[in-house]
Amino acid sequence: MNYKLKTADEAKEREKGVLATAVRRLVPLMRGEGRAVAVSFAAILVTAGSTLVAPILIARAVDQYIAGGDFRGVLVISGILLLIYLVGTVSNYIQVRTMGAVGRRVLFNLRNSIFNKLESLPVAFFNQNKAGDLISRINNDTDKLNQFFAQALMQFLSNFMLIAGAGVFLLAISARLGAAALVPAAVVLVLTQLLSPWVRRRSLASLRALGGMSGEIQESLNNFKVIVAFNRLDYFRDKFREANEANYAASVSAGVASNTFTPLYTLASTLAQLIVLAYGIYLISHGSFTIGLLIGFLLYVTSFYAPLRQLAAIWSSLQLALAGLDRISEVLALESDMRTVADAGAARVGDGSILAFESVTFRYEDSGKEVLRDVSFRLEKGKTYALVGPTGGGKTTTASLMARLYDPTAGTVYLDGRDIRSYEPAERAQRIGFILQEPFLFTGTVRDNILYGNEEYKDRNNEEVTDLLESANLHTLLSRFSEGLDTPVKSSGDGISLGQKQIIAFMRAALRRPDILILDEATANIDTVTEQLLEDILQKLPPETTRVIIAHRLNTIENADEIFFVNGGSVTQAGDMQHAVDLLLHGKRQS
Amino acid sequence: MAKPLETSANTQNEAAPAAPGLFSLLRPYAWTIALLVLLTVLGNALNLLVPQLIKHAIDTYTLGSFDLVRLVVEFSIVAAFIFIFTYGQNIVQVYASERVARDVRNRVSAKISVQPYEYIDRMGPGKLLTNLTSDVDAIKTFVSQAIAALISSGFLIIGASALLLLLNWRLALAVLAVVPVIAGTFYYVLGHVRKLFTRAQEAIDWLNAVISESILGSSLIRLLNSQQYEYQKFLAANAEAKDIGMSILRLFSSLIPVITLCTNLATLVILTLGGHFVIIGSMTLGDFTAFNSYLAILIFPILIIGFMSNIIAQASASYARIGRVLDAPDERKTGGVKAELRGDIEVKDVTVRFGEKVALKDVSFTVPAGRRTAIIGPTAAGKTQLLYLLTGLLAPASGSVSYDGRDINEYDKQDLHRQVGFVFQDSVMFNLSLRENIAFSNTVKDADIERAIRTAELADFIGALPDGLDTIVSERGTSLSGGQKQRVMLARALALNPRVLLLDDFTARVDAQTEKKILANVAENYPGITLVSVTQKIASVEAYDQILLLMEGELLARGTHEELLASSPEYVQILQSQKSTNQYELQA
Repeated sequence: MNYKLKTADEAKEREKGVLATAVRRLVPLMRGEGRAVAVSFAAILVTAGSTLVAPILIARAVDQYIAGGDFRGVLVISGILLLIYLVGTVSNYIQVRTMGAVGRRVLFNLRNSIFNKLESLPVAFFNQNKAGDLISRINNDTDKLNQFFAQALMQFLSNFMLIAGAGVFLLAISARLGAAALVPAAVVLVLTQLLSPWVRRRSLASLRALGGMSGEIQESLNNFKVIVAFNRLDYFRDKFREANEANYAASVSAGVASNTFTPLYTLASTLAQLIVLAYGIYLISHGSFTIGLLIGFLLYVTSFYAPLRQLAAIWSSLQLALAGLDRISEVLALESDMRTVADAGAARVGDGSILAFESVTFRYEDSGKEVLRDVSFRLEKGKTYALVGPTGGGKTTTASLMARLYDPTAGTVYLDGRDIRSYEPAERAQRIGFILQEPFLFTGTVRDNILYGNEEYKDRNNEEVTDLLESANLHTLLSRFSEGLDTPVKSSGDGISLGQKQIIAFMRAALRRPDILILDEATANIDTVTEQLLEDILQKLPPETTRVIIAHRLNTIENADEIFFVNGGSVTQAGDMQHAVDLLLHGKRQS
Repeated sequence: MAKPLETSANTQNEAAPAAPGLFSLLRPYAWTIALLVLLTVLGNALNLLVPQLIKHAIDTYTLGSFDLVRLVVEFSIVAAFIFIFTYGQNIVQVYASERVARDVRNRVSAKISVQPYEYIDRMGPGKLLTNLTSDVDAIKTFVSQAIAALISSGFLIIGASALLLLLNWRLALAVLAVVPVIAGTFYYVLGHVRKLFTRAQEAIDWLNAVISESILGSSLIRLLNSQQYEYQKFLAANAEAKDIGMSILRLFSSLIPVITLCTNLATLVILTLGGHFVIIGSMTLGDFTAFNSYLAILIFPILIIGFMSNIIAQASASYARIGRVLDAPDERKTGGVKAELRGDIEVKDVTVRFGEKVALKDVSFTVPAGRRTAIIGPTAAGKTQLLYLLTGLLAPASGSVSYDGRDINEYDKQDLHRQVGFVFQDSVMFNLSLRENIAFSNTVKDADIERAIRTAELADFIGALPDGLDTIVSERGTSLSGGQKQRVMLARALALNPRVLLLDDFTARVDAQTEKKILANVAENYPGITLVSVTQKIASVEAYDQILLLMEGELLARGTHEELLASSPEYVQILQSQKSTNQYELQA
């Protein structure tokens, strides 16, 4: 399956009704928020109502009382206004509070679901995408949504209400004048519809460029020692500059696009005032309107266009949020093709093997290179197997298939007689231990890393853990760390040697007592004395444990019961050690 | 996972940001900023004219001297210029902010690129990534929003206040009374919010750490089926971020209503007091209308300044963080000696410390030019650090490293790196083509690349690829096998035509046969090269001119294979552990 996400150069966009799309995309995110949304909606109505009623009252006060010289009437209206304002303040508070909370919760859930999705995707996904870009998607893109939900959404809704309300009042006071006042708005709305896809496309391109640049920085910084040692700082400065320039160009283009709205809306607002003023005076001169109404009307024009102008500003942030949502949705839409198949229908073999390959063919999706072709073999319980072969011959791939890091392109892998795909992940993880070629540590302590993912022992205290290690013959390895279990380690940085990382990975895997333990060059960087210790530990594993060892150092495989030679798409039994050595020396080289 | 403590310590120092520094950042863009200010001021000045035009129209109408054509012409001209100026202002601020952001990024990256490796290791790549992305973004927001907004807001507040005072100073004073109330509310809320913002940033850093480890460790997580556990870690960080967000919200949700109420109260004052003035005849109806319009113009900028003060605070904090990178002392001056190396290396009384931990203790030895030297020893003995020392990636706490009798610091660093090739233990691959991974730049000649590839026994492999040398290596090199990566790393070192070749556990991932061939190739294609090889396998280095035995940072023994057999029990023990292999190695 192809898990490759779109990057900067592949910007292509589907376009439909913008507002409709926005609503359709954003509403599902607010599932379960019905009550809160209803409350804030009611509050928005009250707030908008109070904001809109005020100009009528003011117009009335001007026309009837100020013009008529009745100050008592002015005071009465002021009193009513004060009451309305207070109600408006309370409802405004409720509105901001509940809608803001909705935004926070939506963001919280969205982040959770994207992380959850990430965790559900197979290894192939991570091999096909840049870490920097993925991090950028989860952080920058959700943050764009965050900004939208935290600030813009609420303003969006209340401005929308204000606009609608003001529009109604404008038309209600005078249909003709109202219609005239709305003409500029109608024009800019049409323009907005036309411009939005363009703005969104540019925003998306800009986000992609940002993701690309983050990826570039991430890669350079993580590999800094090579860049320094090979004196290629200038080269990477140039590469960074290139990414930076690309990001600059994309950002400017997105910025210019999204900044067209505000001036347009300002223009519309000014023109609307002119229209109302000129037309209004015309109407007054014909006796069908009053000065007081005109003043009130002008206030409504402002209450109509001011939120519209704000909407324009928010509109850009909506476009950006939607572009971010696009990129997030791209991840959310991916489905792992490595599901657990039903136990009942699972294929079985009854040959008593703990692990078997049957006509397995495997090809990497991204490179299309066929690594294994129609491979069949079986491993028996309690035996030790070695995989040898030239580099690039497919040893690691074979091991990865055993642990179901990938599924075969064709054929079946059987674990204990049953299709490996029918095992629940938890059970599979329990039964198969795999010490990876490139050990990875989480930031924390040695203890955290040894017990990582170990449900059984995670709550034991240090003494108990030491006892556990002792009973598994692993305690001597602990002396390789200055502060024992509490030695701090970092996932990045060179504070800890590769050999030490391998020792931790070994302890982590051995402590779990798996049925099958796979070591992929797992001791390559460990000194031979320690390695001998590891060998002893391997020998003392429960007798039913099956060991699969990949190594170049022949001493690590000399105890193997059987040796497989992996090369050129095939896995063949090499018979004894001598034959394996001969194959290695004289066999056809694939790499 | 514990929340990273260092970030909280860092951010506390940033509580008192240096705003002048932020503004001094703009000096190179003075003309752009000036243009921005000009456009902003012009646009705003014209905006202030609009209520005047309206007032004038109403007043002239009530007086019976209304001129429709004049109104339309004046109004249209004003509207057109407002549009032009606002549009211009928007465009200029986009350009200005993006240029500042781009230039700051370039400055930071230029600075990072002259730092020693040790600096990057200490700072942590994640933190520098934040500097280059979110911190720069905060500055960008400052330039794009704050500058124009501050200027125009200041202008509008002063202008609107002045006009209000001119229209009717008593009413104006009554209306302006709300300004301090709004300012005070802002001061209070933002003061509290700022602390929360700092905590929010920490929560984001925490989220990032979890995300990034779960991506880099994705294989392990899937093998151990610990996705649920990772999710719990993420959930904890995310919940923290949400809680802080909710606290910020609580403060903000009181801010906006209070400000709206103040504005409304001002409207009320205009109605009652202004109404009173109109009734007693000390104010015209046009003035009354204009008052309402100016109030709207006055309040909005006050809000803007409040929000901008927040953006400025964030940008200052970010610029302070970036400033710390920019102000980091440059790598100590390296000498300017450029000389063809013979390859005599002398390490004298060298001690290396990582904090409290001693990685190497009083190590002294010499490597004769053109010879082969092996370094063996148990895990964490300090072997890799020793090689780092020889490349200058690591500086000793005491003691010295010299090449051809001259201290390593006297050499031109670039020239030295060119002559000392280093094959790292862990595979470091870039998401570039194979050619770029090997050559890294266009200055390396094709013939050199070709020779390096041949020497590293990569020719067959590369020849079999459909795109050959132009095949793109996926990030972290996941499309290559461990041994292939190791050999690409070797080719990378050899392509420089080095005089000294440092191999860190090169044999670990390459099979014995290939290793033998490769070493023979090196001897043949790079005659006279000085080889220093960290290894686990004694068998492959028995014939070396010198073997160094390193344990726990100390040089235990030094000599040829035979000498060590006779003098060093530790060496014998290591050899014993490998004994069983030897019969096969011999046959190989």
